Amino acid sequence: MSQFIQSLVDALSAGAVLGLAALAIGLVFGVIRLANFATGEIITGAGYALVLTWDLGWYVAIPLSILVAVILSLLMELAVFSRMRKAGPATLLIASFGVSFLLQRVYELIFGNNVRSAPVASNLSQSVDVAGIRVQLLSVTAIVLSAILLVLLQLFLTRTTLGLQLKAAAADFTTARLVGIPASRVIGLSFVLSGVLAAAVAFVLTTQSGAVGPTFGVRITVLALVGAVIGGIDKISGALAGGFVVGFASSMLETWLPQGAGNFRDAFVYVLVIVVLLLKPSGLLVRGRGAVRT
Amino acid sequence: MHSSRLIWERVAVSIDNSANSTVGLDVTGLTVAYNGVPAVRGIDIAVAGGEAVGLIGPNGAGKSSSLLAIMGATARSGSVRINGRDASGLVPEKVVRLGIALVPEGRHVFADLSVKDNLRLGGVARRTKAGAHEAMDKVMDVFPILREFAARPAGLLSGGQQQQLAIGRALMSDPDVLMLDEPSLGLSPTAVDTVFEALAAVRAAGKAVLVVEQRAEFTIAFCNRTYVLHDGVITLSLKPEDAENVQILTEAYFG
Repeated sequence: MSQFIQSLVDALSAGAVLGLAALAIGLVFGVIRLANFATGEIITGAGYALVLTWDLGWYVAIPLSILVAVILSLLMELAVFSRMRKAGPATLLIASFGVSFLLQRVYELIFGNNVRSAPVASNLSQSVDVAGIRVQLLSVTAIVLSAILLVLLQLFLTRTTLGLQLKAAAADFTTARLVGIPASRVIGLSFVLSGVLAAAVAFVLTTQSGAVGPTFGVRITVLALVGAVIGGIDKISGALAGGFVVGFASSMLETWLPQGAGNFRDAFVYVLVIVVLLLKPSGLLVRGRGAVRT
Repeated sequence: MHSSRLIWERVAVSIDNSANSTVGLDVTGLTVAYNGVPAVRGIDIAVAGGEAVGLIGPNGAGKSSSLLAIMGATARSGSVRINGRDASGLVPEKVVRLGIALVPEGRHVFADLSVKDNLRLGGVARRTKAGAHEAMDKVMDVFPILREFAARPAGLLSGGQQQQLAIGRALMSDPDVLMLDEPSLGLSPTAVDTVFEALAAVRAAGKAVLVVEQRAEFTIAFCNRTYVLHDGVITLSLKPEDAENVQILTEAYFG
């Protein structure tokens, strides 16, 4: 029983983190139809910032990692995606692969092929007793951090005019502009928020592994993209829910698959994804067919 | 293809404009093409403050394209002046700030957002930040249903209520020129009455109204004049008294 609850907490935490990553992708997708694969390299950049500056103190490393993530996010928008506004989602996705590979090589050039490591928030890697059950403090932290970020994001999107503008643009970009919502403002905002979320993901991942290499953010981004798609990438809540489901399922499979099969857990996740997409081609949360963007 | 009647209309309009030259919409030689195929071919439309102008014609005549082009939402050539200021080369969010608003076809309210939030977003383009609160009160006075359902998600409103919301949202920016694309589409007769009563009030308040409609007779009777658009060209200009003239209408659509 206690082992089950332990795995449940771990799975909740994995789901929460993947939910954040999927949200980072979904926010941008909602506004400009870009499924940004290079979100992974934003996570990697923030991860490097954390491990390389951790000994200066968390109060330096954490804000710096957020700053790096936001700047990277805005930079790829300004340098690449803003020049492709008329391109379709497929072209944008391919372009983001290009940005992703380019940044991986850049990281390799600057930081080398080997991982850089630091004991990031090492006091979180211990276990604590909660009502007689031992749980990873890091798992609890990830769940709490995600919950706080989601509440803040929700407040921002529903209580501020700027947040409403972003929500409206994500729902119907053409009409939002006709109403007078500046495209550049909401697009920039979506990249900033995406960067902040990526930094949060990077914090949890670096705390788990303590090591960052050039392809640090790739695996979680693939899973987050998959999650966003099965949840319905068109809707912000869909991306979040899909990311959570994939993270949760992946973690549960890792714990409960028989010895030896655990290595293939991603394969099991993808089987799950194929089944979902066969049944609901436009995502779990989308009713009927997906929206057509003209 | 411009009839002599149309030219006379334009002379009359320019005289009107001299009285109140700053308020209104002035479009000349508007051309829109999609992938090289022309949808609108050099049309002229002038609407002064205090008048309503109709734009009718068969499907695919270029009515919606014209409105979207005026807003800067599709590539276009020709001159668009709003309140005397040149709108060429401006993106929609900039065009709105010259004092014009479009109520798009199919209403396009933000379904997940509340009625009040929809209206708030309409106020984003206000030229003066002051008075946004009063503007919402005013809109809710015109459309009391929006006050009643202020907290309700817009997607849960009926078609007629959504149309009122879409118009209210457009009015929130306090435009001098209001354009509507098929505001009566899919509405019950009572809802249509509500919408057109509101438009009459908007016109009486000195704003310029340009309305695209399918209901030809109704539009011709309501508007100070109505242009017939056919294959991207204005073929006829009609006065309110032409509303009952079946022959003119038939010619307008099939001629």
